[in-house]
Amino acid sequence: MEGFADSLQAMKAKGRAVIGCFPLYPPLELLHSFGLTPVVLWGMEPGPAGLARSDRHIQPYACRVARCLTEFVLSPGYGLMDALFMYNACDTLRNLPEILEGALRERGRPLPVFRIHIPAVSLHREEAARYMEARIKGLIADLAAFTGRQFSEQAFLRSIRLYRRQRSLSRDLQIQAARGGLRFADFSEALMTACRLPVEDHVALLEKTLEKAGAASHGGGMDKRRAVMISGILPPPRGLIEAMEASGLVIAANDIAALARSCSSSAAESSDAAAYYTEFYRDHSPCPTILFSSDRRLEAIRDEVMRHDIRGVVFAGEKFCEYEYFEYPYLAGMLEEMGVRSLFIETGADGALSPDVYKTRIETFARMLDT
Amino acid sequence: MTAGDAKEAFRKNESGKRLSSIIANDYLTLHQRASEGAFVVWIAIIVPAEIFAGFDNVVYAVPESHAALCAGKGAGTVLCEKAEASGYSADLCSYARIDIGTVLGGGADSPTFGLPKPDLLVSNNNNCSLLVKWFDVHHRTWGVPHFVLDIPFCYENQGADDFAYIMAQFGGLIRTIEGLSGQKFNIDRAREAVRLSSLALQEWRRFLSFASHRPSGITAFDSFVQMAPILTSRGTGQLVEHFRLLADETKEQVENGIFPVPQERYRLLWDNIAPWHQLRKMSARLKHLGANITSASYTYCIGALEGRYEAYGYDGGDPLAWLARLQNFSVCPHGLNLRSKAMKEVIERNAIDGVVFASNRSCKVYSLMQMDQMKRIREELDIPCVMIDVDHADERKYSEEAAFTRLEALLEMIDAGRA
Ligand code: SF4
Ligand code: SF4
Repeated sequence: MEGFADSLQAMKAKGRAVIGCFPLYPPLELLHSFGLTPVVLWGMEPGPAGLARSDRHIQPYACRVARCLTEFVLSPGYGLMDALFMYNACDTLRNLPEILEGALRERGRPLPVFRIHIPAVSLHREEAARYMEARIKGLIADLAAFTGRQFSEQAFLRSIRLYRRQRSLSRDLQIQAARGGLRFADFSEALMTACRLPVEDHVALLEKTLEKAGAASHGGGMDKRRAVMISGILPPPRGLIEAMEASGLVIAANDIAALARSCSSSAAESSDAAAYYTEFYRDHSPCPTILFSSDRRLEAIRDEVMRHDIRGVVFAGEKFCEYEYFEYPYLAGMLEEMGVRSLFIETGADGALSPDVYKTRIETFARMLDT
Repeated sequence: MTAGDAKEAFRKNESGKRLSSIIANDYLTLHQRASEGAFVVWIAIIVPAEIFAGFDNVVYAVPESHAALCAGKGAGTVLCEKAEASGYSADLCSYARIDIGTVLGGGADSPTFGLPKPDLLVSNNNNCSLLVKWFDVHHRTWGVPHFVLDIPFCYENQGADDFAYIMAQFGGLIRTIEGLSGQKFNIDRAREAVRLSSLALQEWRRFLSFASHRPSGITAFDSFVQMAPILTSRGTGQLVEHFRLLADETKEQVENGIFPVPQERYRLLWDNIAPWHQLRKMSARLKHLGANITSASYTYCIGALEGRYEAYGYDGGDPLAWLARLQNFSVCPHGLNLRSKAMKEVIERNAIDGVVFASNRSCKVYSLMQMDQMKRIREELDIPCVMIDVDHADERKYSEEAAFTRLEALLEMIDAGRA
């Protein structure tokens, strides 16, 4: 959490107006095109003070993502943000805006909170596309009033290009990670840094990392018997990833909301923000939180498993995330039919397993893949 | 048995007996019609079932309501365990686990032998979007189509855009059923069902209004039990008649000086879903303490717009419009400001002495605003409140002793405030 605050501090020092966005897939390009610096508020760990501020407002059976977000927004770090943005990504998050607004008001520093409802049904449905268009127009009007700027097609296109570049570099880096050019823990750290850097700086960082990774890549030759995919909301803790790599598992693919699910999707360039976001969410990489991507998700996982010759899937479950949890039994069954083993590990603020426990389970899993 | 006790028993027998026979009959009819070829739809609680009355031969089942029944009849734990044994986390909503457990067990432990297999699943995200994930489990297992209604959450009252969006989706639902069932939708029949639902909900309000009497003419536990036919008999004359008689019987008892907690010293309000596995035990133990949970957000929200208490009556216009406007009523689909507004009104109307916030880890959508709501109620109305841990349908996640330690502390706080 401290790291997060330091990063925001650095942005503020450069005169940036920071907008804290609730996960998972906010319309970053649009916010950026208004001159704001959007940061997605996930990937934080509780600081030394724990989650005491959050615990005064939400019960401990909310997921770690929501609790850390609440803690951060209510910590002295809140002074570093100029506004918040949220959409109905999940039930837990939709309950938070009024709680945060009230708590910030009490602290004497109310923050504007922009909210939109993104259709939870396919945007192929005409009424959903219409509704979406109206929401984006409404958001544009709110942002214009807040920033004192008008929506600019040119600025929007520039922002789209930046984020497309960021996502494309992230995908390239993912390929390098699978080829052994960099460790998966370093790859996920490089991508998660997106939450702490202006996108321009993040692009520069990815370019540098990619260059280094390309030089180190051994261009294949991994032990395919041990190729695994990790699935979850956030990358698992570094200790877990290292335990996986130490037991010889090769992390050849990921289905992590903050990594592959975030960088696999880009809509076609368009100066029409409503059209852009209709396509963006309609065709977004499947995710349990994008309710209408449910059928596509099964296909996507099957394809990914076959494409990378995956032998095992490690589900890193974010404790109390019902979206993910409802899917595991079916996915595990589907994978079993494909001859793919799965391992479920629960992570989360109060429920994280110690590295030793990970180690034993992971080593056993790795051995099982050999049989 | 005193004369008063005899009359009280009479009341419970009459409305209780009628209720049991309605519920038994509704489930029997559902199974029978399904076996005779009716088009079966499984719906989330808030999906407007009156729409199905517009078709010749469409029946609906409500897995959440069935799960509540299972929990009330003591089958909750065994059914949850079945789902857990198949990999469904014990952290998932207990209604979902009970339903999945019922399906996995072929209806074996259910008092209604489960539900007939659906031809269509219709879920929505107004109460929660985990319902969509839950129905997806069946969609994937059985390959049954799944139609989702997307109902925007209300931080303020439902907006015109949201209303239009919901209306358009109702049209889509109707076309989907027409396409799948081969039946034609008749709006006049849906209109009649809506008219009857609206009348029934007015009678429901009349029944709830006896909570303002001192001592209260009802307990929230009565309202928990009596809400069941709203989910099995919606849009029928039977429902209107049942609630009319229920309200009449309650009125008669109040006039005759018969009260569920005659020595009522504490009037409490319950916030969250009913603790289905504890209804009898909890109400009896509270009664012994002179306490009556007279009101509950779970039941006073029924038939009212988000953030309000009064019933939202049907004016004879477009029946779908009435249904669309009511889509955010059930607490979970609206925000803290609206929840607090309705709760304050009920606290004042029913002269509530204290509020019990039942923190329910199965139902995060209901629960994750309670800490702030409790603070508001305490500070703005100066009313003592407690939070207890209850899972509405999984008895394993409830400790009677821990809950009553807090409930007794609440009563002490009320006494202290009176001193
Ligand atoms: S982890 Fe799951 S429950 Fe938590 S914020 Fe993310 S999607 Fe929502
Ligand atoms: S989480 Fe709550 S609202 Fe959703 S199905 Fe369960 S009990 Fe109902």
